[in-house]
Amino acid sequence: MSPRKLVTLVEEVQREGDRDLAGPLYMGFVAAVFKNPWAGQGFVEDLGPVLDELAPELGALLVPRLVAALPAPVEAYGKAGIVGLAGEVEHASALIHTLRFGNHLRAAVGGTTLLPSVEKRSAPGGTFDIPLKHITDMTVRSHHQTYEVRVAEAPHPDEILVGVAGATGGRPHARLAEFRADEA
Amino acid sequence: MQHTSIVAETGGPVPRNGAGPKARLVRKHVLVVEEIELDGGRAVPSTLRRAAAAAVIANPWVGTVTEDLGPAVTRIVPAVADALIARLLQALGGGAAVEAFGKGVLVGLDGEVEHGAAVIHTPHLGDRYRHRVGGSSVIAFAERRAGAGASLLIPMWHKTEATTRSHYQAMELRVPDAPNADEIVVALAAASGPRPFARIGDRRTDPVLAVEGAPA
Repeated sequence: MSPRKLVTLVEEVQREGDRDLAGPLYMGFVAAVFKNPWAGQGFVEDLGPVLDELAPELGALLVPRLVAALPAPVEAYGKAGIVGLAGEVEHASALIHTLRFGNHLRAAVGGTTLLPSVEKRSAPGGTFDIPLKHITDMTVRSHHQTYEVRVAEAPHPDEILVGVAGATGGRPHARLAEFRADEA
Repeated sequence: MQHTSIVAETGGPVPRNGAGPKARLVRKHVLVVEEIELDGGRAVPSTLRRAAAAAVIANPWVGTVTEDLGPAVTRIVPAVADALIARLLQALGGGAAVEAFGKGVLVGLDGEVEHGAAVIHTPHLGDRYRHRVGGSSVIAFAERRAGAGASLLIPMWHKTEATTRSHYQAMELRVPDAPNADEIVVALAAASGPRPFARIGDRRTDPVLAVEGAPA
Protein backbone atom coordinates (compact mmCIF):
# COMPACT_ATOMS: atom_id res chain seq x y z
CA MET A 1 0.00 0.00 0.00
CA SER A 2 1.48 3.32 -1.07
CA PRO A 3 -0.24 6.30 0.52
CA ARG A 4 -0.56 9.44 -1.56
CA LYS A 5 -0.14 11.42 1.60
CA LEU A 6 -0.03 11.13 5.35
CA VAL A 7 -1.58 13.81 7.50
CA THR A 8 -1.00 14.48 11.17
CA LEU A 9 -3.15 16.91 13.15
CA VAL A 10 -2.55 17.93 16.75
CA GLU A 11 -4.72 20.18 18.84
CA GLU A 12 -3.37 21.47 22.12
CA VAL A 13 -6.14 22.99 24.22
CA GLN A 14 -4.99 25.46 26.85
CA ARG A 15 -8.20 27.24 27.84
CA GLU A 16 -11.90 26.50 27.84
CA GLY A 17 -14.88 28.34 29.28
CA ASP A 18 -12.81 31.39 30.20
CA ARG A 19 -10.37 29.51 32.36
CA ASP A 20 -7.06 27.78 31.93
CA LEU A 21 -6.81 24.01 31.93
CA ALA A 22 -4.60 22.58 34.69
CA GLY A 23 -2.49 21.10 31.90
CA PRO A 24 -2.92 21.09 28.14
CA LEU A 25 -5.25 18.56 26.55
CA TYR A 26 -3.77 17.08 23.39
CA MET A 27 -5.86 15.54 20.65
CA GLY A 28 -4.13 13.91 17.73
CA PHE A 29 -5.19 12.43 14.43
CA VAL A 30 -3.09 10.60 11.86
CA ALA A 31 -4.48 9.54 8.51
CA ALA A 32 -3.28 7.88 5.34
CA VAL A 33 -4.85 8.69 1.99
CA PHE A 34 -4.49 5.94 -0.60
CA LYS A 35 -6.06 4.40 -3.69
CA ASN A 36 -9.22 2.43 -2.98
CA PRO A 37 -8.06 -1.13 -3.69
CA TRP A 38 -11.54 -2.01 -4.98
CA ALA A 39 -11.89 1.05 -7.21
CA GLY A 40 -13.03 0.35 -10.74
CA GLN A 41 -13.80 -3.32 -10.09
CA GLY A 42 -17.57 -3.10 -9.93
CA PHE A 43 -19.26 -4.85 -7.02
CA VAL A 44 -16.75 -7.00 -5.15
CA GLU A 45 -18.44 -9.58 -2.96
CA ASP A 46 -15.52 -10.77 -0.87
CA LEU A 47 -13.49 -7.92 0.59
CA GLY A 48 -11.59 -10.29 2.87
CA PRO A 49 -8.40 -11.08 0.93
CA VAL A 50 -7.53 -7.42 0.40
CA LEU A 51 -8.45 -6.24 3.86
CA ASP A 52 -6.47 -9.04 5.49
CA GLU A 53 -3.38 -7.67 3.82
CA LEU A 54 -4.10 -3.96 3.96
CA ALA A 55 -5.61 -3.43 7.42
CA PRO A 56 -2.50 -4.53 9.36
CA GLU A 57 -0.31 -2.36 7.14
CA LEU A 58 -2.46 0.65 7.96
CA GLY A 59 -2.39 -0.09 11.67
CA ALA A 60 1.38 -0.43 11.65
CA LEU A 61 1.78 2.77 9.64
CA LEU A 62 -0.58 5.05 11.54
CA VAL A 63 -0.39 4.03 15.18
CA PRO A 64 3.30 4.79 15.87
CA ARG A 65 2.82 8.22 14.30
CA LEU A 66 -0.13 8.96 16.55
CA VAL A 67 1.76 7.93 19.66
CA ALA A 68 4.76 10.02 18.58
CA ALA A 69 2.58 13.07 17.88
CA LEU A 70 1.16 13.15 21.40
CA PRO A 71 3.38 14.17 24.32
CA ALA A 72 1.39 12.22 26.91
CA PRO A 73 -0.24 8.78 27.06
CA VAL A 74 -3.46 8.25 25.14
CA GLU A 75 -6.50 8.01 27.43
CA ALA A 76 -9.25 8.11 24.81
CA TYR A 77 -9.28 6.89 21.23
CA GLY A 78 -11.27 6.51 18.04
CA LYS A 79 -10.90 5.81 14.33
CA ALA A 80 -12.16 6.97 10.96
CA GLY A 81 -12.73 5.43 7.54
CA ILE A 82 -13.74 7.87 4.81
CA VAL A 83 -14.31 6.61 1.31
CA GLY A 84 -14.24 8.78 -1.80
CA LEU A 85 -17.35 9.34 -3.87
CA ALA A 86 -16.73 6.47 -6.28
CA GLY A 87 -16.42 3.87 -3.53
CA GLU A 88 -18.72 2.14 -1.07
CA VAL A 89 -18.83 2.97 2.62
CA GLU A 90 -18.34 -0.77 2.99
CA HIS A 91 -14.83 -0.38 1.53
CA ALA A 92 -13.71 1.99 4.26
CA SER A 93 -15.54 -0.01 6.89
CA ALA A 94 -13.77 -3.17 5.80
CA LEU A 95 -10.38 -1.66 6.54
CA ILE A 96 -11.16 -0.27 9.98
CA HIS A 97 -13.64 -2.77 11.41
CA THR A 98 -11.23 -5.60 11.81
CA LEU A 99 -9.04 -6.61 14.71
CA ARG A 100 -6.19 -6.62 12.23
CA PHE A 101 -6.40 -2.83 12.27
CA GLY A 102 -7.75 -1.92 15.69
CA ASN A 103 -5.46 -4.16 17.69
CA HIS A 104 -2.49 -2.06 16.62
CA LEU A 105 -3.94 0.92 18.45
CA ARG A 106 -5.19 -1.04 21.45
CA ALA A 107 -1.81 -2.69 21.89
CA ALA A 108 0.13 0.55 21.59
CA VAL A 109 -1.86 2.42 24.23
CA GLY A 110 -2.97 -0.39 26.54
CA GLY A 111 -6.58 -0.20 25.40
CA THR A 112 -9.18 -2.89 25.90
CA THR A 113 -12.41 -1.35 24.66
CA LEU A 114 -13.99 -1.09 21.24
CA LEU A 115 -12.75 1.77 19.12
CA PRO A 116 -15.55 4.23 18.41
CA SER A 117 -15.62 5.12 14.75
CA VAL A 118 -16.93 7.31 11.99
CA GLU A 119 -17.36 5.88 8.54
CA LYS A 120 -18.79 7.82 5.65
CA ARG A 121 -18.51 8.66 1.98
CA SER A 122 -17.29 12.15 1.34
CA ALA A 123 -16.14 14.63 -1.22
CA PRO A 124 -12.52 15.76 -0.86
CA GLY A 125 -12.09 18.06 2.11
CA GLY A 126 -15.33 17.04 3.78
CA THR A 127 -15.45 17.34 7.56
CA PHE A 128 -16.02 14.37 9.80
CA ASP A 129 -16.37 13.99 13.55
CA ILE A 130 -14.39 11.25 15.23
CA PRO A 131 -15.93 10.01 18.47
CA LEU A 132 -13.43 9.25 21.21
CA LYS A 133 -14.00 7.13 24.29
CA HIS A 134 -11.90 5.94 27.19
CA ILE A 135 -9.40 3.22 26.26
CA THR A 136 -10.35 0.76 29.00
CA ASP A 137 -13.86 1.77 30.12
CA MET A 138 -16.42 3.04 27.63
CA THR A 139 -18.64 4.30 30.45
CA VAL A 140 -16.19 6.94 31.68
CA ARG A 141 -18.19 10.04 30.85
CA SER A 142 -15.36 12.54 31.15
CA HIS A 143 -13.68 10.99 28.13
CA HIS A 144 -16.67 11.05 25.76
CA GLN A 145 -15.56 13.66 23.26
CA THR A 146 -15.41 14.37 19.56
CA TYR A 147 -12.57 15.49 17.34
CA GLU A 148 -13.64 17.39 14.23
CA VAL A 149 -11.29 16.84 11.35
CA ARG A 150 -10.89 17.79 7.74
CA VAL A 151 -8.10 16.75 5.40
CA ALA A 152 -7.52 19.11 2.53
CA GLU A 153 -8.16 17.58 -0.89
CA ALA A 154 -8.87 14.06 0.34
CA PRO A 155 -10.22 11.56 -0.37
CA HIS A 156 -10.40 11.74 -4.15
CA PRO A 157 -13.32 9.72 -5.60
CA ASP A 158 -11.14 6.64 -6.04
CA GLU A 159 -9.37 6.97 -2.69
CA ILE A 160 -9.91 5.99 0.93
CA LEU A 161 -8.79 7.89 4.01
CA VAL A 162 -8.16 5.82 7.12
CA GLY A 163 -7.18 7.44 10.40
CA VAL A 164 -6.68 6.92 14.10
CA ALA A 165 -7.29 9.52 16.80
CA GLY A 166 -6.35 9.87 20.42
CA ALA A 167 -6.70 12.31 23.30
CA THR A 168 -4.42 12.59 26.32
CA GLY A 169 -7.32 13.28 28.68
CA GLY A 170 -11.00 13.87 29.01
CA ARG A 171 -12.98 16.97 28.13
CA PRO A 172 -11.62 20.25 29.49
CA HIS A 173 -13.14 20.95 32.94
CA ALA A 174 -15.20 17.73 32.75
CA ARG A 175 -17.67 17.77 35.63
CA LEU A 176 -20.49 15.38 34.85
CA ALA A 177 -21.32 12.74 37.44
CA GLU A 178 -19.76 9.35 36.83
CA PHE A 179 -21.93 6.61 35.40
CA ARG A 180 -23.41 4.38 38.05
CA ALA A 181 -24.75 0.86 37.58
CA ASP A 182 -28.16 1.80 38.96
CA GLU A 183 -28.57 4.31 36.16
CA ALA A 184 -28.42 1.58 33.57
CA MET B 1 7.68 16.86 23.31
CA GLN B 2 5.54 19.00 25.53
CA HIS B 3 5.79 22.72 24.99
CA THR B 4 5.56 25.34 27.69
CA SER B 5 2.28 27.19 28.07
CA ILE B 6 2.42 30.93 27.69
CA VAL B 7 0.79 33.01 30.39
CA ALA B 8 -0.21 36.53 29.46
CA GLU B 9 1.60 39.35 31.16
CA THR B 10 -0.67 41.55 33.20
CA GLY B 11 -1.28 45.12 32.13
CA GLY B 12 -3.13 46.66 29.25
CA PRO B 13 -6.77 46.12 28.39
CA VAL B 14 -7.89 42.61 29.31
CA PRO B 15 -10.05 41.16 26.54
CA ARG B 16 -13.32 39.56 27.49
CA ASN B 17 -12.24 36.05 26.65
CA GLY B 18 -8.95 36.47 28.43
CA ALA B 19 -10.64 37.39 31.67
CA GLY B 20 -10.70 34.04 33.43
CA PRO B 21 -8.31 32.70 36.04
CA LYS B 22 -4.65 32.81 34.95
CA ALA B 23 -5.51 33.73 31.35
CA ARG B 24 -3.13 31.84 29.15
CA LEU B 25 -2.45 33.81 26.02
CA VAL B 26 -3.31 30.95 23.69
CA ARG B 27 -6.64 29.15 23.90
CA LYS B 28 -5.37 26.37 21.72
CA HIS B 29 -2.63 25.43 19.33
CA VAL B 30 -3.24 23.48 16.15
CA LEU B 31 -0.61 21.71 14.11
CA VAL B 32 -1.15 20.20 10.66
CA VAL B 33 1.54 18.10 9.01
CA GLU B 34 1.30 16.66 5.51
CA GLU B 35 3.72 14.12 4.11
CA ILE B 36 3.21 13.89 0.38
CA GLU B 37 4.43 10.67 -1.20
CA LEU B 38 2.62 10.51 -4.55
CA ASP B 39 1.37 13.11 -6.94
CA GLY B 40 -0.18 12.69 -10.34
CA GLY B 41 0.19 8.96 -9.82
CA ARG B 42 3.96 9.12 -9.49
CA ALA B 43 6.12 8.65 -6.42
CA VAL B 44 7.66 11.91 -5.25
CA PRO B 45 11.47 11.40 -5.26
CA SER B 46 11.74 12.49 -1.66
CA THR B 47 8.78 13.00 0.63
CA LEU B 48 7.50 16.57 0.64
CA ARG B 49 6.77 17.62 4.20
CA ARG B 50 4.54 20.61 4.79
CA ALA B 51 3.27 21.94 8.07
CA ALA B 52 1.19 24.74 9.49
CA ALA B 53 1.13 25.76 13.15
CA ALA B 54 -1.63 27.99 14.44
CA ALA B 55 -2.51 29.64 17.72
CA VAL B 56 -5.93 30.87 18.75
CA ILE B 57 -5.58 34.06 20.80
CA ALA B 58 -7.93 36.68 22.19
CA ASN B 59 -8.16 39.78 20.02
CA PRO B 60 -6.82 42.44 22.40
CA TRP B 61 -8.53 45.27 20.51
CA VAL B 62 -12.09 43.96 20.27
CA GLY B 63 -14.62 46.52 21.46
CA THR B 64 -12.11 49.35 21.25
CA VAL B 65 -11.10 51.90 18.66
CA THR B 66 -7.36 51.73 19.05
CA GLU B 67 -5.17 53.95 16.93
CA ASP B 68 -1.82 52.60 18.08
CA LEU B 69 -1.74 48.82 17.78
CA GLY B 70 1.94 48.68 18.68
CA PRO B 71 1.83 48.21 22.46
CA ALA B 72 -0.38 45.11 22.36
CA VAL B 73 1.64 43.66 19.49
CA THR B 74 4.81 44.06 21.53
CA ARG B 75 3.16 42.49 24.55
CA ILE B 76 1.57 39.51 22.81
CA VAL B 77 3.26 38.59 19.56
CA PRO B 78 6.81 37.63 20.60
CA ALA B 79 5.68 34.79 22.85
CA VAL B 80 3.07 33.58 20.37
CA ALA B 81 5.57 33.68 17.51
CA ASP B 82 8.13 31.70 19.51
CA ALA B 83 5.50 29.09 20.40
CA LEU B 84 4.46 28.72 16.75
CA ILE B 85 8.02 28.52 15.49
CA ALA B 86 8.89 25.85 18.06
CA ARG B 87 5.97 23.65 17.06
CA LEU B 88 6.47 24.14 13.34
CA LEU B 89 10.19 23.43 13.37
CA GLN B 90 9.75 20.41 15.59
CA ALA B 91 7.33 19.02 13.00
CA LEU B 92 9.69 19.64 10.09
CA GLY B 93 12.95 18.72 11.76
CA GLY B 94 14.50 22.14 12.32
CA GLY B 95 14.99 25.42 10.51
CA ALA B 96 17.45 24.05 7.97
CA ALA B 97 14.76 21.65 6.72
CA VAL B 98 12.51 24.55 5.74
CA GLU B 99 12.80 25.70 2.12
CA ALA B 100 9.55 27.62 1.69
CA PHE B 101 7.62 29.68 4.19
CA GLY B 102 4.42 31.59 4.71
CA LYS B 103 2.18 33.10 7.34
CA GLY B 104 -1.49 33.89 7.73
CA VAL B 105 -4.16 35.22 10.01
CA LEU B 106 -7.90 34.83 10.52
CA VAL B 107 -9.62 37.64 12.41
CA GLY B 108 -12.92 36.91 14.14
CA LEU B 109 -15.98 38.85 13.03
CA ASP B 110 -15.86 41.53 15.72
CA GLY B 111 -12.31 42.55 14.84
CA GLU B 112 -10.68 44.50 12.04
CA VAL B 113 -8.53 42.88 9.38
CA GLU B 114 -6.04 45.51 10.51
CA HIS B 115 -5.84 43.70 13.84
CA GLY B 116 -4.75 40.54 12.10
CA ALA B 117 -2.34 42.46 9.92
CA ALA B 118 -0.79 43.96 13.04
CA VAL B 119 -0.15 40.51 14.45
CA ILE B 120 1.56 39.04 11.37
CA HIS B 121 3.18 42.05 9.73
CA THR B 122 5.61 42.81 12.51
CA PRO B 123 9.26 42.00 13.07
CA HIS B 124 8.18 40.35 16.31
CA LEU B 125 6.77 37.56 14.16
CA GLY B 126 8.39 37.87 10.73
CA ASP B 127 11.98 38.50 11.75
CA ARG B 128 11.86 35.80 14.40
CA TYR B 129 10.60 33.24 11.90
CA ARG B 130 12.94 34.32 9.10
CA HIS B 131 15.94 34.17 11.40
CA ARG B 132 15.11 30.71 12.73
CA VAL B 133 14.97 29.21 9.23
CA GLY B 134 17.89 31.14 7.76
CA GLY B 135 15.64 33.05 5.40
CA SER B 136 15.98 36.42 3.74
CA SER B 137 12.82 36.78 1.64
CA VAL B 138 9.70 38.65 2.55
CA ILE B 139 7.32 36.01 3.95
CA ALA B 140 4.29 35.15 1.81
CA PHE B 141 1.02 35.83 3.62
CA ALA B 142 -2.76 35.70 3.63
CA GLU B 143 -5.25 37.44 5.86
CA ARG B 144 -9.02 37.44 6.15
CA ARG B 145 -11.87 38.06 8.55
CA ALA B 146 -14.07 35.02 8.98
CA GLY B 147 -16.31 32.99 11.21
CA ALA B 148 -15.16 29.96 13.14
CA GLY B 149 -14.23 27.00 10.99
CA ALA B 150 -13.36 29.05 7.94
CA SER B 151 -10.37 27.82 6.02
CA LEU B 152 -7.28 29.85 5.34
CA LEU B 153 -5.05 29.10 2.37
CA ILE B 154 -1.54 30.04 3.42
CA PRO B 155 0.78 30.79 0.51
CA MET B 156 4.46 29.92 0.68
CA TRP B 157 7.50 30.77 -1.35
CA HIS B 158 11.22 30.15 -1.14
CA LYS B 159 12.84 31.53 2.01
CA THR B 160 15.74 33.17 0.17
CA GLU B 161 14.62 33.26 -3.47
CA ALA B 162 11.04 34.51 -3.47
CA THR B 163 10.80 34.46 -7.27
CA THR B 164 11.69 30.77 -7.55
CA ARG B 165 8.50 29.37 -9.01
CA SER B 166 9.11 25.77 -8.02
CA HIS B 167 8.44 26.67 -4.39
CA TYR B 168 5.17 28.53 -4.90
CA GLN B 169 2.60 26.45 -3.05
CA ALA B 170 -0.15 26.86 -0.50
CA MET B 171 -1.40 24.93 2.47
CA GLU B 172 -4.92 24.86 3.81
CA LEU B 173 -5.54 25.44 7.51
CA ARG B 174 -8.84 25.18 9.34
CA VAL B 175 -9.66 25.28 13.04
CA PRO B 176 -13.21 23.99 13.58
CA ASP B 177 -14.12 26.24 16.51
CA ALA B 178 -12.01 29.30 15.82
CA PRO B 179 -11.79 32.19 15.46
CA ASN B 180 -14.63 33.21 17.73
CA ALA B 181 -15.81 36.74 17.02
CA ASP B 182 -13.35 38.12 19.57
CA GLU B 183 -10.39 35.95 18.62
CA ILE B 184 -7.54 35.86 16.15
CA VAL B 185 -5.97 32.74 14.62
CA VAL B 186 -2.36 33.38 13.74
CA ALA B 187 -0.45 30.82 11.71
CA LEU B 188 2.92 29.99 10.22
CA ALA B 189 3.49 27.49 7.42
CA ALA B 190 6.55 25.79 6.01
CA ALA B 191 7.48 23.28 3.31
CA SER B 192 10.55 21.09 3.04
CA GLY B 193 10.84 21.47 -0.71
CA PRO B 194 9.26 22.51 -3.98
CA ARG B 195 5.94 21.33 -5.39
CA PRO B 196 6.01 17.69 -6.47
CA PHE B 197 7.40 17.52 -10.01
CA ALA B 198 7.69 21.30 -10.34
CA ARG B 199 8.38 21.92 -14.03
CA ILE B 200 7.05 25.27 -15.12
CA GLY B 201 10.44 26.86 -15.53
CA ASP B 202 11.41 30.22 -14.21
CA ARG B 203 11.83 33.82 -15.21
CA ARG B 204 15.13 32.91 -16.80
CA THR B 205 13.53 30.26 -18.98
CA ASP B 206 10.36 32.15 -19.92
CA PRO B 207 9.82 33.04 -23.55
CA VAL B 208 10.35 36.72 -24.21
CA LEU B 209 6.92 38.22 -24.84
CA ALA B 210 6.22 41.53 -26.45
CA VAL B 211 3.62 43.06 -24.12
CA GLU B 212 2.03 46.26 -25.33
CA GLY B 213 2.84 49.16 -23.08
CA ALA B 214 5.41 47.27 -21.03
CA PRO B 215 8.72 49.01 -20.38
CA ALA B 216 11.39 47.96 -22.80
